[in-house]
Amino acid sequence: MEKTMEQTLVNEKKRTKFKEIKKYKGAYIMILPAIISAIIFSYLPMYGIIMAFKNFDVKLGIWGSPWAANHGFEHFMAIFENPEMFKAVKNTIWFGLVILFGGYPFPIILALMFNEIRSKWFKKTAQTIAYFPHFLSWIAVIGLVYTFLAKEGPFNQLMVSLFPSWEPVNPLMKSEYFLEIMYISHLWKNVGYSSVVFLAAITGVDPGLYEAASIDGCGKLKQVWHITLPSIKPTMVIVLIMSLGGLINVNFEQVYGLQNAFTQLDNEVIGTLVYRQGIMGGKYSPTTAFGLFQGVVSLILVTTANWVSKKVTDQSIW
Amino acid sequence: MKRSFGEKLFTVINTIILVLLCVVSVYPYLNQLALSFNDGMDAISGGITIFPREFTLENYRTVFIDPNFLAAARVSVIRVILATILGLLVTYSAAYGLTRRGLPYRKQLTLFLMLPSYIPVGTIPTYINMRNLGLINNFWVYILPGLFAFYNMVIIRSYLQELPPEMEESAKIDGANDFTIMFRIIFPMSLPVIACVALWISVGAWNDWTTTLTYVTDRELHTLQYLMMRLVKEAELANSMSMQQTMSKGAEVKAKVTGDTVKAATLIVTTIPILCVYPFLQKYFIKGINLGAVKG
Repeated sequence: MEKTMEQTLVNEKKRTKFKEIKKYKGAYIMILPAIISAIIFSYLPMYGIIMAFKNFDVKLGIWGSPWAANHGFEHFMAIFENPEMFKAVKNTIWFGLVILFGGYPFPIILALMFNEIRSKWFKKTAQTIAYFPHFLSWIAVIGLVYTFLAKEGPFNQLMVSLFPSWEPVNPLMKSEYFLEIMYISHLWKNVGYSSVVFLAAITGVDPGLYEAASIDGCGKLKQVWHITLPSIKPTMVIVLIMSLGGLINVNFEQVYGLQNAFTQLDNEVIGTLVYRQGIMGGKYSPTTAFGLFQGVVSLILVTTANWVSKKVTDQSIW
Repeated sequence: MKRSFGEKLFTVINTIILVLLCVVSVYPYLNQLALSFNDGMDAISGGITIFPREFTLENYRTVFIDPNFLAAARVSVIRVILATILGLLVTYSAAYGLTRRGLPYRKQLTLFLMLPSYIPVGTIPTYINMRNLGLINNFWVYILPGLFAFYNMVIIRSYLQELPPEMEESAKIDGANDFTIMFRIIFPMSLPVIACVALWISVGAWNDWTTTLTYVTDRELHTLQYLMMRLVKEAELANSMSMQQTMSKGAEVKAKVTGDTVKAATLIVTTIPILCVYPFLQKYFIKGINLGAVKG
């Protein structure tokens, strides 16, 4: 008796749930294309990750291909044994470190400077101009870099006029300047636009705080140090966490675009090596492992930074 | 309030630095613009600043009669239009569907759509998947993979959540179905966020060249950005483009264009659309960033 009661109750519940769902039929149809798109282009390729643990053969398919040696971890061990790959890892981390920490302070400083401008017209114009390079594609920026640094280009002209003994040279053809060019072109393209977030945070600071401080005799610099910076700390921390993944994820477009016959060999990073050996060279399994290694390290970096930040500063992205 | 000498000095230095930053930000582009209007042979000796020294339109003529350029421009334009319209449709309707109050399994569906952004699939599995789907050397590789973007959906969704619910409810009472409500009532109300996301998608599609690099070898499917990448990286290509122009003009005409000036003209033509939408971009992108920052 009791059992049938329970059964009908469950059935009733199921039926109302079903009715609920039917009521929202339209909404589900609207979400459906997104779901299908996610399945085909995001979930389906996840299956291909198995290639990292196999010796993928196009004719045998992903599942039919034999497992790699060393319990499937052969290709991961190769990352540290193969000099070419290991060099790419070292380059990626070194470039990432320079770009992340060398680039981090400038947008904040720029935002502070914009904030001090009283003339509305000048502020707006300066912002409009400073944000502009961000909207050019990387390859357009690199086209500009090539012209700028050419032997007869503006860079050498400037150097000759400053130092009459300067011997015109194209730094793009010298592998030792690769990182400098990367760093500067990264700053040129992104510094203005990256300051937007900080400027928004600065604008949100309570003006009463500044008034109180200036009555107490605090100068501009002290106000920035004791009021502005602490107030925008949450934004500073969040931007830092989000960019930490970049430590092992150098921008492919930038590196690939800047590489040429003279500089490519010494400045290969993980992304470009995966492209050359995988997509161009057809070595699918080793490059899948290489890419997976990069992705997992990047994920670990961001999650760890997030966790530490939550403990220490109470700020987190999740 | 009187300002101290130190503060005045600070203002002056601050302004000077920002003016310098502006100069540095636009100079390379203006220099390229001047080069694109300059005689090729004359440009070889260098020394061009932001004004052309020997004005000519020959570089642009070379670009606009080049069949490769015209084909690439066509692919780029069609691609941007389709990617923007279809992408908006998929992302927007998903966002609207997920804001419906009381929708069963909303959390699970959102999680399902969000999860891929945290899983590092990598270039090669994605490539193999595209190959299995027959998207290598296929125009649709420019459109289909980008139809749904989780981040854009979050931006639209947070905007829709702020809309007042009354309109929707009264329409419902009048017997309108979900799709009528979405297109007729909610869509016109959310034009600001739609403009923002549309610009976002179209600029991304216009500026993208790695999709071509990875999935396309067929010449007929090359895009403008990809063509420019080849011009930048392969000096011979730009030189041959200018050679053809010189040769077609006959021997009596001196070489007016060179690889460098043709490259400059291509770069300017390729970036002009961005320049044209830039005023809107600045407005909406920044709004989008701030929205993103708030919603985390």
